[in-house]
Amino acid sequence: MTNVLWLQGGACSGNTMSFLNAEEPTVCDLIADFGINVLWHPSLGLELGDRLQTLLWDCILGKIPLDILVFEGSVVNAPNGTGEWNRFADRPMKAWLDDLAKAANFVVAVGDCATWGGIPAMEPNPSESEGLQFLKRKEGGFLGKDYRSKAGLPVINIPGCPAHPDWITQILVAIATGRIADIALDDLNRPQTFFNTFTQTGCTRNVHFAYKASTAEFGQRKGCLFYDLGCRGPMTHSSCNRILWNRVSSKTRAGMPCLGCTEPEFPFFDLKPGTVFKTQTVMGVPKELPPGVKKKDYALLTMVAKDAAPDWAEEDFFTV
Amino acid sequence: MGRQTLDISPVGRVEGDLDVRVEIADGQVVNAWTHAELFRGFEVILRGKDPQAGLIVTPRICGICGGSHLTCASWALDTAWGTEVPRNAILARNLGQIVETIQSIPRYFYGLFAIDLTNKKYRSSRFYDEAVRRFAAFTGKSYELGVTISAKPVEIYALLGGQWPHSSYMVPGGVMCAPTLTDITRAWAILEYFRTNWLEPVWLGCSLERYEEIQTYDDFMAWLDEDIKHRESDLGFYWRMGLDIGLDRYGAGVGKFVTWGYLPHEDRYQKPTIESRNAAMIMKSGVYDSFTDTHTLMDHTFARENTTHAWYDEGTADIHPFDRTTTPTQKNTKDFNNAYSWSSAVKHQDFGRLEAGALARQLVAGGKHGESWQHYDGFILDVFKHFGGANIHVRQLARVHEQVKLYREAERCLREFVLNDPWYIKPQEKDGRGWGATEAARGSLCHWVEIEGGKIKNYQVIAPTTWNVGPRDSEGVKGPIEEALVGTPIEDPTDPVEVGHVARSFDSCLVCTVHAHDAKTGEELARFRTA
Ligand code: SF4
Ligand code: SF4
Repeated sequence: MTNVLWLQGGACSGNTMSFLNAEEPTVCDLIADFGINVLWHPSLGLELGDRLQTLLWDCILGKIPLDILVFEGSVVNAPNGTGEWNRFADRPMKAWLDDLAKAANFVVAVGDCATWGGIPAMEPNPSESEGLQFLKRKEGGFLGKDYRSKAGLPVINIPGCPAHPDWITQILVAIATGRIADIALDDLNRPQTFFNTFTQTGCTRNVHFAYKASTAEFGQRKGCLFYDLGCRGPMTHSSCNRILWNRVSSKTRAGMPCLGCTEPEFPFFDLKPGTVFKTQTVMGVPKELPPGVKKKDYALLTMVAKDAAPDWAEEDFFTV
Repeated sequence: MGRQTLDISPVGRVEGDLDVRVEIADGQVVNAWTHAELFRGFEVILRGKDPQAGLIVTPRICGICGGSHLTCASWALDTAWGTEVPRNAILARNLGQIVETIQSIPRYFYGLFAIDLTNKKYRSSRFYDEAVRRFAAFTGKSYELGVTISAKPVEIYALLGGQWPHSSYMVPGGVMCAPTLTDITRAWAILEYFRTNWLEPVWLGCSLERYEEIQTYDDFMAWLDEDIKHRESDLGFYWRMGLDIGLDRYGAGVGKFVTWGYLPHEDRYQKPTIESRNAAMIMKSGVYDSFTDTHTLMDHTFARENTTHAWYDEGTADIHPFDRTTTPTQKNTKDFNNAYSWSSAVKHQDFGRLEAGALARQLVAGGKHGESWQHYDGFILDVFKHFGGANIHVRQLARVHEQVKLYREAERCLREFVLNDPWYIKPQEKDGRGWGATEAARGSLCHWVEIEGGKIKNYQVIAPTTWNVGPRDSEGVKGPIEEALVGTPIEDPTDPVEVGHVARSFDSCLVCTVHAHDAKTGEELARFRTA
């Protein structure tokens, strides 16, 4: 039996909704087949009022063993560090979080708000939000850089806005079945198994990317979204095109540029005027290139690729 | 007999942090206060940003009806920029929104609402054992199926937008996608799967066609008696148990209802403006006043907000959202005589406080106002009249009744797509004011945007729950949920499941509400911090 307590701070419930889309295993399978016991969850839990408050105190006092604390949403510190703008069960949420993090064997942050602060922490960050162990790329966050859960691990970060259901369930199952040691974390404490490759890996528009064939406007079946529409697929660590969304697709497959939501900088450029769905360029060349690619080499590659491009690269080959 | 005060924090299973205070006398709620306890400040964040920032930010206001926020954000920019939207795109936006709501119905019913039927309070009901078999959290037969299958409809959303939740595929001028035939056939198959594995066999116990014959309360009761499959379906079983445990006996509310209308017709709203919107919706807008039994159209200029009892220092006047200069109170102490919520009190300039949600939509659907071609359905209005007004049980029936109609609308979208026609017409960006509205599963949602100098000057949202969960207004009039709580019997104050029933029957979504009233400028915020 693995006890899971799931709480939401400055959240939109998007990660919960995403989690409920899981199919292998489903949320119900998690409970029936993997011995996961959901102590409480804001959308699914049974208890209300005093009864929930008692349950939370029992976890803090060790009367109920807290194996996994899942946190969704940002940690709200406003106003002036008190956290009173996000009260929960009659206390600032951050006070509960502080106590529960000490009692938990593992702490899992799901979604961008819990990992990096997310949209609420975007400037001017009115709610003084931060992530559990990061604020954007800066280490620290609410629990501090040196925080370790009772099992000796930092907060396991599952970013994404929202996180993909498989990313969440696989981590929960790994912990419940004693296989967490098989999962290596990257320097942002993200499980490498999901975040080592790029969004671009598996994108159906990859062949257009290779030949520099661009989608200049929305509503197209052909072309790559990198050159004009601001796709961040080449620069974003995610498995969105390997482990498809809702089992059927991904943003870039459907024609929507990747927003880079698994990276701490999301939303990029703080959505300043002129940056939304538009590639930032210098003299017609994208300002940001895939990691490790040099500007000069890229310019050369562009010329060669354009020369080598077959006619079909400009055609709609995903015809109806 | 003394009064007892009960503070319930949190109520839970309402999406977001809702706290409720009730005063109980003689085993009944005699007074109630609802308070929203989270403030994130999305509207502050949106100020000064790219005009299209709302397409990325506002779906994240609420991950439960993000597609509805996206719809509002897109139509608001369409009206501000004066775009042309191709019919394919209108259909694709509608389809996305429809499948989000079809997803929400079983997820809400089993996940949030029906669990409470297994509460020990109902042990003596003859329906109890069966309720546990069906609705117990995680393990109930119907719970498991219903929650799992709710993931299916949004696969269609993903075929259009790449993922659900949180895609931004709707943009001013159309949509980003251009589905192929395989996407369309796959979408058909998903709909069929949903119908043949849950909607017909488990939920209705009959075909969609048979269910569609129901037009009145008497028809419904006749349907119930007609076949054991109807009686034993989840809908039939729920209806009978609800009556047995008295869910029809409390939770009335304010007796006046609002919907903005939704699903623009693909041939009637290609040149969207704020003014032409009402006449272009498939599901008409309106206000239903049950006291006079009259229907009237709803217009955005009728909306007012009041912050007398909310944590903002903004005076006591009713103002239109375009004119709000929201200033949050730094010290948000609970003071039930003064301010006690982050939600404002929303009202209609003439009708006062209104209830939003599926019941409101269905009561308006029964009106003869609006255009002759618009959707009409008198069933829920007839049920409402049979019971002499609203209650938990009627609200619930209205919430699940839409499933079949929306299913049919989804089929229609799939039939109407013309795959090689355009999906997007690139608009010209410009300054101006825009307004976009829709109906999220849980009620009326709208966005106001003002663009100046190529950036957002002001962004305002009124969410369904702002209507429903709002505190008292300047005249001390209670919000719809507060009003609905009055008269609620409380059997066991240590486990006030009845309060949960009432609050959850509104399917409130606090995550929407709490951000929605913070339109202060960044500068004011800085001043306010150093003060
Ligand atoms: S659309 Fe985006 S993810 Fe796909 S190939 Fe182009 S840049 Fe890469
Ligand atoms: S494609 Fe990009 S924006 Fe979309 S979910 Fe994946 S990482 Fe996030």
